[in-house]
Amino acid sequence: MTEFQQIERKQITFGGKPVPVAVVHPLDRASKAPSVLKGLVRGMRLTLGYFLRPWKVVTRQYPENRQTLRFPQRYRAMLTMIHDSQGFHRCTACKLCEKACPNGSIRVITQKGLLEGVNKLDQYIWRMDSCLLCNACVQACPFGALKMTHSFENAVYDRRLLVYNLNRYAGPPAKVLAAEPDTAKRRQMMEPRGRFDGPLPLNEGLKPVLAKTQESPVRETSA
Amino acid sequence: MMSVGQPAWEVVTVADRAEYWLESHWYFAVAYMILAVLAVAAMVVALGMGLIYGERKIAAHFQCRMGPMRVGYHGILQSIADTIKLLLKEDIVPERADKVLHLVGPFLTLVVTILILGVLPYSPLLQLADVSLGVLYLTALSGLSVLGLLLGGWSSNNKWSLLGGMRAAAQVISYEITATLALLVVTMFAGTLTLSGIVQSQAQGWWVWRAHGVGLLSMGLFMIAATAEINRTPFDIPEGESELTGGFHTEYSGLRFAFFFLAEFINMFVVAGITVTLFLGGWMPLRIGNWETFNNLMGLIPPSLWFLGKVVVMVFVLMWFRWTFPRMRVDQLMRLEWKFLLPIGFINLFAAAVIILCKWYFFPV
Repeated sequence: MTEFQQIERKQITFGGKPVPVAVVHPLDRASKAPSVLKGLVRGMRLTLGYFLRPWKVVTRQYPENRQTLRFPQRYRAMLTMIHDSQGFHRCTACKLCEKACPNGSIRVITQKGLLEGVNKLDQYIWRMDSCLLCNACVQACPFGALKMTHSFENAVYDRRLLVYNLNRYAGPPAKVLAAEPDTAKRRQMMEPRGRFDGPLPLNEGLKPVLAKTQESPVRETSA
Repeated sequence: MMSVGQPAWEVVTVADRAEYWLESHWYFAVAYMILAVLAVAAMVVALGMGLIYGERKIAAHFQCRMGPMRVGYHGILQSIADTIKLLLKEDIVPERADKVLHLVGPFLTLVVTILILGVLPYSPLLQLADVSLGVLYLTALSGLSVLGLLLGGWSSNNKWSLLGGMRAAAQVISYEITATLALLVVTMFAGTLTLSGIVQSQAQGWWVWRAHGVGLLSMGLFMIAATAEINRTPFDIPEGESELTGGFHTEYSGLRFAFFFLAEFINMFVVAGITVTLFLGGWMPLRIGNWETFNNLMGLIPPSLWFLGKVVVMVFVLMWFRWTFPRMRVDQLMRLEWKFLLPIGFINLFAAAVIILCKWYFFPV
């Protein structure tokens, strides 16, 4: 109620004719004082409740609590290709994630399979520097080959180190490999790929030199 | 108006001691003066740092945060680090500013605060000077404190500063009335204007409960008005960041800004101290009429601790206000004062007069 509404304008019939009158309610605002006070008291009770429960503080002392970090379940910091216990991934190089990516941060490079004769994954390039972490690639993948992990300490001194190769080997997905009984043949189908085996866009394609401390710049945390 | 049948709380101020020595050994008097000045200076520094640290910590916990945690154990040394930073910062004066007034503004604000620190009764033996017109002196000084803000805003040659200064002036002049009306109630009950006299008049009970509701109401009025006078949220429109960038201290930096900042925080202590002195018995222990045993028990805690404890509680309440209530608009501020607090204040004063005449309050003298 604004101040002006203290004056209520209405019409009454007087002698058969409508007459506009103004009815003044000066105490309407004053009668609201108790509810206003109640609101103030409620606010103060709320803040005091926070004050008296220091264990409910949401602040985390970050560098000190690195070992005991807790993440929300859907926290997204780093795109990862899932590799099972034997080191096999599930990517069939269908490129749906590449199409789903709004920024073009993903590039799936395929190769012709030598043994089975179909397209299979060569390099899975993910550019973190242009990634939104929007999760569209993970949702697009029909094989569940991708996931977002909580590893968030991704700062590097060289921009090129933000271009990752996500697959650890080039070759067919786990399902195809599992169908092959011969271990030696399976080995033959796989070709190792490193973390930074992708294209190096800057500095005339020279490979960046990793410092000792940056040898594993990605700290893998359990999901 | 000394209470009858109570142990005499003899007040000896530092000024009294100096006066005593003045005739025989004048250098003792000078020593007392120097001691007083040093004590106030130390108090300003300690209070400033302590209150800033306290405010940051308490504010943080009101908002589910932790506040300063890095410098020292739980950030205890943060204030010292900040002080050093402020001292070393460049002191920037705007080119077209009024150089003299720009310096006088923060200085005056701090001086007024220190002048009030000098008359507050901390304990019967710890008071620098007992001004015979104590309450009037407080009222006059709190009116003067706005001059510093106004000068600062005016001399900065900045429209935001000017608006902030003007707002401060309008606000303080308005709320001064309510504060004075609330002070008058206590003055009438106590029958004296000296601050130590007011404290002594509460030997049978603090005015906040002894005065039959009038005391409680006038304490509420005074707290609201005082919060407005020291420009704290919810009445901090003179420096409303969302509207005036920084208000009157937009153009201040370094040590001059530190003066404003320091004065703002010590003012919080001063307001708490005045409230405690007038309504909560100052250094007087919690005493109820002629309950001998209870009074003696309460008297075991020394008066200075009583004062300190009460002030800490009041400062906490002020901080609690600040971190709970949102800032008011200018028109809401004026409406609250002139349409609500002022009529209530006058009615309260009248009711107090009636209560005193009819001796309806507890333990009338």
